[in-house]
Amino acid sequence: MSESPETADPEEVRHVAQLARVGLADDEVDQFTRQFADILEYFETLDEVPEVDREADLANVMRPDVERDSLESEEALRNAADTEDGYFKGPNVS
Amino acid sequence: MNVIALQLANQRTARPVLALECERDVHRSESDPTRNSVPLRFTLPAPNQGAMTAQTVQQGDLVTVVGLEVHVQLETDTKIFCGCSTEQTDEPNENVCPVCLGLPGALPVLNEGAVEAAVKIGKAIDADIPEETRFHRKNYYYPDLPKNFQITQYDEPICADGELEVSVEGTRRSVTIERAHLEEDPGSLQHVGGGIDTADYTLVDYNRAGTPLMEIVTAPDFRSPDEVRAFLAELEEVLEYLGIFDAERDGSLRIDANLSIIPEAEIDGDNADEISADALEAANRTEVKNISSHKGAQKALAYEETRQKNAIQRGRAVEQETRHWDEARGITVSMRSKEEEKDYRYFEEADLPPLRVSDWKEEIAIPELPSARRERFGDEYGLDEEAASKLTSTKQVADFYEDVAGEFDPDLAATWVADNLLGELNYRDIEITEIEGRLEEVKRLVALVDEDEITAKNARETVLRSMLDDGRTPDEVVAEEGLGKTSGDEVRQAVVEAIDENQGAVEDYESGDDGAINFLVGQVMQKTGGSADPSDVNQLLRAELED
Repeated sequence: MSESPETADPEEVRHVAQLARVGLADDEVDQFTRQFADILEYFETLDEVPEVDREADLANVMRPDVERDSLESEEALRNAADTEDGYFKGPNVS
Repeated sequence: MNVIALQLANQRTARPVLALECERDVHRSESDPTRNSVPLRFTLPAPNQGAMTAQTVQQGDLVTVVGLEVHVQLETDTKIFCGCSTEQTDEPNENVCPVCLGLPGALPVLNEGAVEAAVKIGKAIDADIPEETRFHRKNYYYPDLPKNFQITQYDEPICADGELEVSVEGTRRSVTIERAHLEEDPGSLQHVGGGIDTADYTLVDYNRAGTPLMEIVTAPDFRSPDEVRAFLAELEEVLEYLGIFDAERDGSLRIDANLSIIPEAEIDGDNADEISADALEAANRTEVKNISSHKGAQKALAYEETRQKNAIQRGRAVEQETRHWDEARGITVSMRSKEEEKDYRYFEEADLPPLRVSDWKEEIAIPELPSARRERFGDEYGLDEEAASKLTSTKQVADFYEDVAGEFDPDLAATWVADNLLGELNYRDIEITEIEGRLEEVKRLVALVDEDEITAKNARETVLRSMLDDGRTPDEVVAEEGLGKTSGDEVRQAVVEAIDENQGAVEDYESGDDGAINFLVGQVMQKTGGSADPSDVNQLLRAELED
């Protein structure tokens, strides 16, 4: 965590936008470049936190292969913006 | 044709014909993105023209190199990180809960059954199962992942450095398995109103999301599509033996294959299995996705091999890209470039503590695997390789064979299980598992043959087929069709009648036409309803006519 401070450039912002499937206009790219830099700088604060080990040495937390009740389909779809015949419905993605 | 002539003939015809067929396919498919980029530089010559020979020589200098990523669906009752059922259902989004829907605050808990299955695979492929293994998040944004990341394993997979022995055209080869890791399956998408690019909208079903998968990654050890097919068939067998895999289940096997063509000179002469990393790096590879069976893999890779060889022959570079196998059209098509590894921003899954299974793995037993069982069938029952191979193709078949061979002659058992039963089942497209409750009846039928109660021919052609087609038991069929072997007196009676009624044939026989006896045998068989033994009848007739 003690690498040199991260910087953001417009190319990187475009790439991240593409990964997130977000279309950005040129002025938005500039705006996000500045904001990315701010955010990364803010996170650098974490570099000051001393390294500590995980608190409990947990391992092998498992459950038996036994079925439990699922949600009712209606309930599962309740937060969806759009549905069709029990499916979540969204825009075309390729 | 001698061997050299045969080789020459193969060189002259076989390969170029294959290449040309493929070329036609490429040009025929209207929506293939490669279509416009492949210029028609020559018209199709007839197969035996001299021009083809020069091309063949060039092709001979190239070697195909394939590595696989095989996604195997593990047969557990519940999903890998939640208690939702993995059963296939008719309705979408029925087997979902806050965990597999990625709702805020939901926490994954690892399914013991999935880990056990993974350890079984590790033991079967003789892999290292490390002291500690852990899970990572693989981040990508696509609606098949409700959380926007997939829980998978990254740098500490549960299995590393294994191998699987495969028999390819009679030669045993060991394929290196670099790693095998656990992960969750994404959901499934339907592109409505068009293809993936042209759809109006997308419907998402998360029933499959969270189903446990094992991703098995091989070294680039394959040199032909046939080897790939043989490996996948063997892998399927092993997984079925382990009882953790159902080949009949839709989407239970999904394959991504990396294929590149490199100059033969790059292969180390002393060790044909070793190809330098540099040579592989220098050659562009294509990753072919959307393959769902071993037969599909062979077809997809044969297509891709020819496509790349053709490009190289014409001095064109092979583009490094991901291609999609279109099963219906029998071609691969270019896909938009996907993320690079760094774009997945792998990081440790803090919601899942590490896994330490090295102590547990001793308790997890695996059954005798197909290759070992094949060998034992040869030693113990004296079966040839083909029979042993057929009889170990699935665990159920092998178990049934051992059951029958324990009571009857092993050769008789082999004929009945490998040839008769599997042959008739195959013809009807039935799996042995579907008639599990009736295997005792099949054994009864073998007993009837063994005790000489019915002829082998009747047993196979009438009794077995009736059993499968109308559900009768062997004893019912024998009684109802009157197939019990005819007693000696009845046969003798029929012989006398046949001689009386067919004096013409008798005269022919007596004047030296030995073939006439066959006609008389046929008459006797007809009178006895096929239940007499033809060679007995033959002898009886000859004896009668001698008098």
